[in-house]
Formats: sequence, structure tokens, C-alpha cells
Amino acid sequence: MNVLQQVPRNALVWGIICLFALVAPHALRLPFWVLGVYLLAVGWRWQVYRGRWSFPRRKLKLAMIVSSFVGIYFSYGSFIGLEPTVALLLTAFALKFTELAHRQDAYVLIFLGYFVCLTEFLFSQDLLMTFYSLLCVTLLTTTLVALHQPGQHQFNRRTIRLAFVMLLQALPLMVVLFFLFPRIGPLWKMPTNSHTGTTGMSDFMKPGDIASLTQSDEVAFRVKFEGEIPPSSDLYWRGLVMSKLENGAWSTLGLYSVPAKEARPQAVSTTGDPLIYSVIMEPTNQQWLYGLRYAISSTPGVMATSDFRLISPTPVEVEYIYRARSWTGAELEPKLSEWRRKIETKLPPNANPRSRAFALEMRDAVESDAAFMSLVMNKFTTETYVYTLKPGQLLGRDAIDQFLFESRRGFCEHYASAFVFVMRAAGIPARVVAGYQGGEVNPVNKTVIVHQFDAHAWAEVWIKGRGWVRADPTAAVSPTRIEMGLEEAMESEGSFLSEMPLSPVRYRSVALLNELRLRYDALTYGWQSWVVGFDSGQQMQLLHRVFGEISARTFMAAFIGSWALVLIPVAISLFRGKDTFPMSPADKYYRMFCHRLSLIGLKRVSGEAPGDFARRVVAAIPEETEQVWNITSLYARMAYETGADGNRNDQNALEELIRAVSKFKPKAQRNAGGGLHPPV
Amino acid sequence: MSSAAERRLVGVFSRKGAKRDHTRRLRAGFEKWVNRRIPPAREITLNQRRIFIFPSRIGLFFSVCLLVMLIAAINFESNLSYGLTFLLMTLFIVSILHTYANLSGLTIRALRATPAFPGQLSDFHLMVERSKKRDHFALYFFWPNGSEILVNLVEEDSNRFQLHVPVDKRGWFNPGRLLVESTYPLGLLRCWTWIDLDISALVYPGPLASPDLPGVATDTPDGAAVPVTGNDDFYGFRGYRIGDSLRQVHWKGLAKGQGVQTKQYTAYADRSVWLDWEQFPGAGVEQRLSHLCYWALAFEERSEEYGLRLPGLVIQPASGEKHRDRVLKELALFGFEGATL
Repeated sequence: MNVLQQVPRNALVWGIICLFALVAPHALRLPFWVLGVYLLAVGWRWQVYRGRWSFPRRKLKLAMIVSSFVGIYFSYGSFIGLEPTVALLLTAFALKFTELAHRQDAYVLIFLGYFVCLTEFLFSQDLLMTFYSLLCVTLLTTTLVALHQPGQHQFNRRTIRLAFVMLLQALPLMVVLFFLFPRIGPLWKMPTNSHTGTTGMSDFMKPGDIASLTQSDEVAFRVKFEGEIPPSSDLYWRGLVMSKLENGAWSTLGLYSVPAKEARPQAVSTTGDPLIYSVIMEPTNQQWLYGLRYAISSTPGVMATSDFRLISPTPVEVEYIYRARSWTGAELEPKLSEWRRKIETKLPPNANPRSRAFALEMRDAVESDAAFMSLVMNKFTTETYVYTLKPGQLLGRDAIDQFLFESRRGFCEHYASAFVFVMRAAGIPARVVAGYQGGEVNPVNKTVIVHQFDAHAWAEVWIKGRGWVRADPTAAVSPTRIEMGLEEAMESEGSFLSEMPLSPVRYRSVALLNELRLRYDALTYGWQSWVVGFDSGQQMQLLHRVFGEISARTFMAAFIGSWALVLIPVAISLFRGKDTFPMSPADKYYRMFCHRLSLIGLKRVSGEAPGDFARRVVAAIPEETEQVWNITSLYARMAYETGADGNRNDQNALEELIRAVSKFKPKAQRNAGGGLHPPV
Repeated sequence: MSSAAERRLVGVFSRKGAKRDHTRRLRAGFEKWVNRRIPPAREITLNQRRIFIFPSRIGLFFSVCLLVMLIAAINFESNLSYGLTFLLMTLFIVSILHTYANLSGLTIRALRATPAFPGQLSDFHLMVERSKKRDHFALYFFWPNGSEILVNLVEEDSNRFQLHVPVDKRGWFNPGRLLVESTYPLGLLRCWTWIDLDISALVYPGPLASPDLPGVATDTPDGAAVPVTGNDDFYGFRGYRIGDSLRQVHWKGLAKGQGVQTKQYTAYADRSVWLDWEQFPGAGVEQRLSHLCYWALAFEERSEEYGLRLPGLVIQPASGEKHRDRVLKELALFGFEGATL
């Protein structure tokens, strides 16, 4: 085999490490048999290395490729979509490894590996994931380096150093490119990860759904306000509006059940300063976004619905950033259309007769809808209702009756659902709103972290002259929940995150842990807003801030300047290095002596012995005879005598030499004659 | 351009063979330029004047991969994918410096070349040294038509190695420009130079058997012309002199601690033979030289003394490796300008 085509053993081992490092983050998403292919591939290649087996033959390879394709088709049901594509890529990566014989194969393998690293980002852009991917890139680069180090027949840990150093040197340039490279929209639509499940709130709510959501400590979104953060009790993050009650479950109106002329939101007159904030949402695979009422967004693509919510044009598959402004006091929909009124007062026939009777009776007792609303609220405050995550079974046709008049134990969705039912029963338009309430203020970077356990449901009631008004029966039952959050509200019950004993959020009382958690969260926020969410808008802002007016010239200058700034030190560090024949101090001072003589025309020719040179010098400048011989003999002693009596004498001689040379300042002689020229 | 330099370059560039006129002219221009830039020398230190660097085929393939990655980043609007693509791009750029550093500062020294007969391989002994304590990996040396080798400079500061090149015609053989190449550390860039080392191998005439023995020629002054084969009359020992054949060294005596001694055989002392240019009437120059070469080898094989007479040159009869080498060298260089040294 050509010497250039050999794959050193060191590279092979690094390749195996890469193989497993790359597949690890995908392991849970992949069908288990793909991992089997990995083990087989590595096992086979190892046996080939040991000389036990031979490389798979062409027919066998073909069979493996075809069966992998078939396997992936059956595992995913199609080849379209991100997951099957990535699974194919990963399987190809493993199969390529079995036939790794020449350097050319290794190149293909490593470049495929870089692609695999890229695909990891399409699933997660988490900070930790990024570090892991950087590790994978380092490993792949190490394999590439090991491939070019012939004669390394053993695994060499140190190979990673060069790869690491090179990547470190490349990093600053990457940052420059990252911030300067223009962001353009997608060229064509790519397959998306349609196979992963949705997370967070769902557009269908039956009693108990939100309660189960509150068992998760995952972050739903993070908010950064411009200016003061409003008090927690004002942070009602509207996400979904549920107007339809069927079989004891609330759901949103389907897109096509809204008539065309009702589909656009009514104009809202706004007064006063809005709250301005930006939200970074974690992926949900759903379209709806969260905002305080009444929110409008300036982010391109974000749309508003007729029930004053924000939605994204496509499901949120990766971290998504949008900016919004909210006028919390704005009057929403002062005029209710007939269709809307009908929809928002509709109830399933016959269910919950006691609640209906109660509603009609109470409505008759007061003269206005608003008064009725506070009357019902009062019922929750004055009577013994319990706010609990363990409400017991409340199902069946008359679940609301059961809750209102018998068990009186429930979570926010029970209260909201019962409240809206009673309102509707009295003929007042009302609906359930689902979203999040409150959030944790991170003192590190002044963001509001909204967790899944902040999930909440409340009600909106339409009052003539005031439009849609928020009514939260939970606030009446458990004011602590609204003001302090779920953890405090559930303190006596001890049910907060009871299913997640290891969640860091549970240990908020441990100051150090909490500090660490919040710092990491701040880091994540910075990461998401500056790196993951960096877009052309931010880019323009940044460039304006750094360069002022952006012109092609400043742009190019910045580009070239920054590159020079990085590459020149790299070059210097590369070409520096210890001399292979380092000069001893004695040599150094003797050379200085020769240099001083050369200034007055006495050059020592190469190969001339110090003694011969001294003789010539003395002939030329006789008045320095003593000095010259002193230096020469000192040097000769140090250079040629191997001192048996240790270093101390040497040290003395060196000091003497240094002193003698520094004092030696020869002057040129006019009558030197032929002595100035070396004997040839 | 001198004809010698031309000859040297033929070896380098004849691999692909010029087909068209203008490419030939272009190539000639390049050769002229290369010769001016990298003149032949006994030892050559690689610096920016001599080193060329360009993306390798793998580097171009890698660029295509990067382009695909960039398109993926654009289409998925994934900033981290952008980041990864840019990181690999800048890695490519940083590796320019690393690849260049792997070749720069190296000194390649021509040590010696072993003489060879036409059609055989000559061993060119070279040495590569570094001037700074930096690791150099996978230095690839290749002589067109000859052998190739990969050399590392990691633990030691210099490395001696041999390259084998087949030689063709009698005389001095210069193997042409030597390719020194490196793609370390990432293989994405190819850094190379063609250096013209001032090193030549001596090519002896190809031995050619002649039916009649040259010893029968009448003008041999010693008279005792018939070489006797197989007559090993041992005479005695004398102290070893440089040039004595190692085959005649008294190894057993040496092992016993008697010093290096050479065995002497009486038969040859008075049976020296003259190998004479005039012994092959009618033969051409090359043929005569080939016959002379054949007989020189034959007598050396039998450890008999032989002398050489060429027009304008006489070598007194003797034997031993040194003598043989001298004889063969004269034969190899016969007729060339400034041949004798």
C-alpha cells in the first residue's frame, strides 16, 4: 500500500472514540438496532485490525446498506423528516467505519462526523449540548491529525492537544465570522423534526391536565422586561383561550370553526406606556406564544388572533425569540359580535344541573353582571374551598356540581372551569384562559423565568362597557399562589414537584445551590439571546453599535483587521521554538566578544579556532593582549574542558568571562596592516 | 537554462508528458522560474521562497462539505450550525499556518549516492534536520520514478533516510528534482517544494561478457597473462591496509585479538592482468567499456590483481574494493568532460 494511504492505529482508536461520542446524544432518539450496527461495526473493524477477519465483501456491504435503509423505513414509516435523515446519516457513519482501510475512507468518515455534529444542533441548542458538540468536533479533528502522524502504533492521548490548540486558534475567527456573516432567510423548506412530541400546554384541557404539568421543573420561557418587572400577581401569561366545553373538557376553537370575518382581532384603543419585553421560548412544537394582555409583537411573522393572543406561523421547534408590547389596561372587544356571544355562552345541555340552578338564582339576586361576578368570587373566599394538587377524582357528567357543592377541593383548572360554567349558565359570556402565572425573577440578569409548574388557568368574563375582564377564582381561594407562586401555596401539602425529588428548583432554600442554578440560568439566557437567537435585526444593532455607520469599507477593515489580529500571533507562536542546538552562556559571551572585534574589522572566520583567532587579534591590537588571552582562555576552559570538579568552578569562570567581556571595548588600530585579514 | 538543468527537470515533469505546444512553452517557463527560485545545492533549507501551498484534493472536498453545511445552516436558520460551519472554515485557515510550519525551517542535506549499474537502483542517502524544537510529522519525500518515504522528526533533530532511484545510462546520474511534501496536520492543504539537490550517483557501464579472455593479448608487459581460477595459494598475513578487500581479512585472527590482518595469496602477486582498451578491436566505445567492466568484476571476484589501460589513462594492477571502485569509476566516466577526479 502507498505510504500515504496507511491509517495509523492511533487514528483508528480515536475514530472509535468519535463514533461513540457522536452517537451518544442521538441514542435515545434512534431505534435500538442502530446502536447494534455501531457495536457490530466497531467489533468488525477491530477484528480486521487484529487480523482475525477480513474487510466485509462488496455483496455483504451492499446487503448491510440495503437492510439499514429498509430498517429505517420501517422504524420511522418514511425517509422524509429530520429524524430518519439523521438516522440514515448515523447508520452510514457506522457502516463506513467497517470498511475503513485507506486514508480516503477516513476522510469521508470524519467529514460525515462533522455533519453529524451539525445535526445535533437541529434537535437542541442547549449550552451543554454545544459544549458536547465542541468536544465531538475536537475528537474528530484529533482523528484527522492522528491520520497524518505515521508511525503511531499505539493510542496516543497527546494527539488531542494539537487539535485542541488549532480549534482554540480558530475560535476567535469563528466569532468574527459568526457576527459579521449576513443572515439570510432559508433558501428552501427543510424537513423538520415532526416526530418529537409536543411539550407544555396543550390546546385541550380536562381537569387534572395542568396539575400534572406543574410536576415539571422545565423552563417554559424566559422574559426580559425593559424597565421595571411588574409584580408577580400581574404576570398572567396568556397562551390559549378555551371557549368550547365538551364532555367535561375545555378546548380552543378550531381554526376553521371561526368565520372569516371574525378571524381578525378587533381594533384596540391603547393609552399610556406599554410594558416592553422580549420572550425566549423553549421549543414546544406548538404554534402559540405567550404574552401579557393586550400584547402586540413587532417580531416579523408573529400573528395576532381574534381572541388577542400571539401565534407563530410555524410550530416552535427550536428556541424562539419574540418581542412584545402590552397594555394591561386596554379594553378588549368592547362590542361583542352575535357569533362571539353565542360561542362564549354555549354550554352542553343537561350537565351539572345544580350549578345551573345556582347560577340563575344568584344572577336574579343582583342587578349587574359585574356584581354577579363578585358574588361568585365571594363564594370561593367565604366558603371553605381548598386549593390542592390532589383534588381526588372529579369526573363524569356532573363533575362541576360535584366540585362546587361536595368536594370543594381543586386545582386552578377546576376553579376556572367551574367559574366559567357558572358565568355561562347565567348567560354571561365567559371563557377559560390557559397559560402561565407569575415566574421567578432571576436577580443575576433581571429576567423572569417561567417554569412549567407556573402553568395556570383562569377566566375571562365579558362585561358590558369594560370588554373582557380577567377573573381568577384561584386568587380568591389561594392568594399565596398568585403572589408567591406554587411552591409557597403548596407548602403545607408538600406536593410541590413531589415527583421530581432531584429537581434543583426544589432546593431553592439552599443558598449556594440556588445561586448556582440562577447563574447558570442567566448564562443560558445570554446564550439564547446572543447566540441561538442572533438574527439580522440584532446583527444590524450590533454592527451599528460597534462601527457606527456601516459601510463596505469599515466592514472589510474590521474583517481583515480582526483576522490579522488573530493569525499573526498564531504564526509567531508556530514558528517560534527552541533552537535545536541551544547556545551555552559561554558561547553567547564569546560571540559577543567576537562581535565587538568584528566591529573594528577583526572577523573570526568560520572554523577558526579561538586560539588562532586570539593570536591574530593580538597581532592587530597588541595593547589588548592580556584581555584577549584572558577571555580566550576562560572560554576555552569552559567550552573544551569537561570539568571533573563540578559546576561551581564553571560558575566562577562564567562570571569572570561575563565580567571580562563586558569590560572589553577594543579600539581600531590604524597601522594594523595584514593582521586584519584572516589567513587563507 | 543549462542543459544539465534541463535534463534534471525532464525527470520531474515528464510524468504527464507535454502534449501541446503552448503547454510545453508554459511548462518551460515554469521550469525556468523554478530553477531560478530553487537553484541546486548540496543542502537546502526550506523557506517561504521555496515552499508552495495550496488546498489538497481532500481540502477541496472539505470545502464542498462546508458549503453543504452552510446551506443547511441557512435553511434551518440554526445559529449554532452557522457557528460550527464557521469554526471548521477558520480551522481550515488556521491549518494553512500549521501545514506551512511543518515544512518550513527544515534542512535537507544530500549525503551520498551509491554507485549502480544501469537498470539497478541507486540508494540516495539524504538527511533532514530541523532548526527549532518543533515536531514535524509525515514529511513525504519522493523522487519521480523512484521510491517514496514518510519521515517524522519528533524525538530526534535529524533523520537519515534513503531513497532508491533506478539509474539508466553510464556516467553521472542526477535523479532530478526531489519532491518534499506535507499535508500534516489536517490533510486539507498540500504544502510542497521541488528541490534540486546537488547529488549524483555514479553509473557504471553495464557488464558485458566477451567470449575471449583479455589476458591473451600480446602486449602485456608482465607476460604472465593467464588468470588461473581456483588457485588459492595462501602465502601469509600482512597488516590491514585501507582498500584491502574485506573478504581477505583474517577474521578468525581478529576474533582472537590479533589485530586486523589481511591474508595474502601468492598466485596473484605475479599474475597481474591488464585490462586494455585495445583488447576489443572493432567494438564500439560503450561495448568496450562494458567488456572491461565485466572483466574487472570477474577478476575482483577471483581476488586477482588487474590493471586498466584506457586511452590517456593507466591504473597499475592491484586488487581490493578500493581499486575496483576506482577502475569502475574510470570506466563509468570515460569520455565525459572533467571525468577524472
